[in-house]
Amino acid sequence: MTSRRAFLKLTVAAGLAPAVASAQGTGRVVVIGGGFAGATAARTLKALEPRLSVTLVEPNRIFTACPFSNDVLAAIREISQQQFGYDGVVRAGVTLAQTAATAVDAAAKTVTLADGNRLSYDRLVMAPGIDFRWDALPGYDEAAAEKMPHAWKAGAQTVLLRQQLQAMNDGGLVVISSPANPYRCPPGPYERASLIAYWLKIWKPKSKLLILDSKDAFSKQRLFQNAWPQLYPGIVEWVSLSQGGKVTSVDPATLTFVTDFARHKAAVGNVIPPQKAGAIAAQAGVADRTGWCPVEPVAFESTLQPGIHVVGDAAIMGGMPKSAFAANAQAKVCAAAIVELLAGRKPVDPILINTCYSLVAPDYGISIAGVYRPDKGVLADIPGAGGTSPLEVVGGFRSQEALYAESWFKTITAETFG
Amino acid sequence: MRRLLLPVLASALLLASLAEGRPARAVEAPPGASSCTGCHAAQKIPDSVIPHIAGRKAADIATAMREYRSGAWPSSVMGRIAKGFDDSQIDAIAAWFAAQPE
Repeated sequence: MTSRRAFLKLTVAAGLAPAVASAQGTGRVVVIGGGFAGATAARTLKALEPRLSVTLVEPNRIFTACPFSNDVLAAIREISQQQFGYDGVVRAGVTLAQTAATAVDAAAKTVTLADGNRLSYDRLVMAPGIDFRWDALPGYDEAAAEKMPHAWKAGAQTVLLRQQLQAMNDGGLVVISSPANPYRCPPGPYERASLIAYWLKIWKPKSKLLILDSKDAFSKQRLFQNAWPQLYPGIVEWVSLSQGGKVTSVDPATLTFVTDFARHKAAVGNVIPPQKAGAIAAQAGVADRTGWCPVEPVAFESTLQPGIHVVGDAAIMGGMPKSAFAANAQAKVCAAAIVELLAGRKPVDPILINTCYSLVAPDYGISIAGVYRPDKGVLADIPGAGGTSPLEVVGGFRSQEALYAESWFKTITAETFG
Repeated sequence: MRRLLLPVLASALLLASLAEGRPARAVEAPPGASSCTGCHAAQKIPDSVIPHIAGRKAADIATAMREYRSGAWPSSVMGRIAKGFDDSQIDAIAAWFAAQPE
């Protein structure tokens, strides 16, 4: 019988257990934010290297997912189906700090928590998601969001917008304002318009929906614009930037959207505001002048603060959009890279995929996909790959994609929260 | 001595990780593989219409990817994704999925 010591010596010599030595003493990772990026990063770190000490800092006990929350507005799904707890994260061996991170000291490598504790880290993963630029749209602040919900962080705001739609008289005008790029979930405003139109057509058929846009083009545009006249004739109207769609201010008292050319008084007003990385990113010094966080494309380490990695919606990820799929994919690559870095190895160049489904109706799905790799310092699209669903399809293509969308949601939430 | 012990050791480590029920080490996963699990999860997802491919034969997965890529096998999203991978990348990902517990 070989002694344990000899056994270990052999393992190390054979290069089979290189992480053991370095993980001890230098294996403290803190993750800020328990969404698709942060919860995935925390669980994956423990799965890859159980010896790591991983702490997830997240103040909410329940996470409410944005993907499929437009179904809640259309009353084809309940908000409870969007909600996930952190039991699976804890089961994975992650320490859950159920409080907010109030400050990051990149030089001292510490995170200060709202409960007064301070965590030291060897590597920090920041996944703070988005915050709204409350100063960017005159008239729109946190109080205004109670009259004109954003519903762009799912939860109480989603429920509020649904209640407003249900209380609206038939014949009312629903207005959605869509921001300039970049923002969370590029096709989201148009999926929302579609599913609200689906609901209006059934329940309030004299009503109309107007999208006021700060852009001239949007994700899956031709697919949406082909479908709207077929599915919702006379209901959905899109006003582009060049047609005067940019909302310059709102009046929450009268639910009015003001553009350079017109004033639109809504019966229900949904303002999707301009966005930036979650506030802690700026405090930590990882956000640049754009409000988002530049990172290198292999381990997603901040180009502004060494030792801090940023993943998910808060980060600038080159060609990758701000989606839950992308956040989960980035977090897995980041976690694997951190394990390598802590073991003193260089992470290999990753390949990442994004796949993003939108529902134009409950049984009508469309998708966009992309494949990405590091190129000249950014995550770039691999030429020839990716793209949207075809414009012309036969048979049950759209209903099949709607089924895939639903299965994807079950999968990604299980992958993220366990 | 070393030549004899190594296979024994490797299987002991493999058994140990299986016994703990841990997810496979994605750090050993080839580029692209960890993104695949956003739809094709390691765990079986009830009522999912997306194929569960962990533990399938590597040759079958690789053939499917190549046929999606060429369009020989019609698909919704897989053709668009497969076009981002060359043959050796496909083979590596297929081998990794095949090595995962079913």
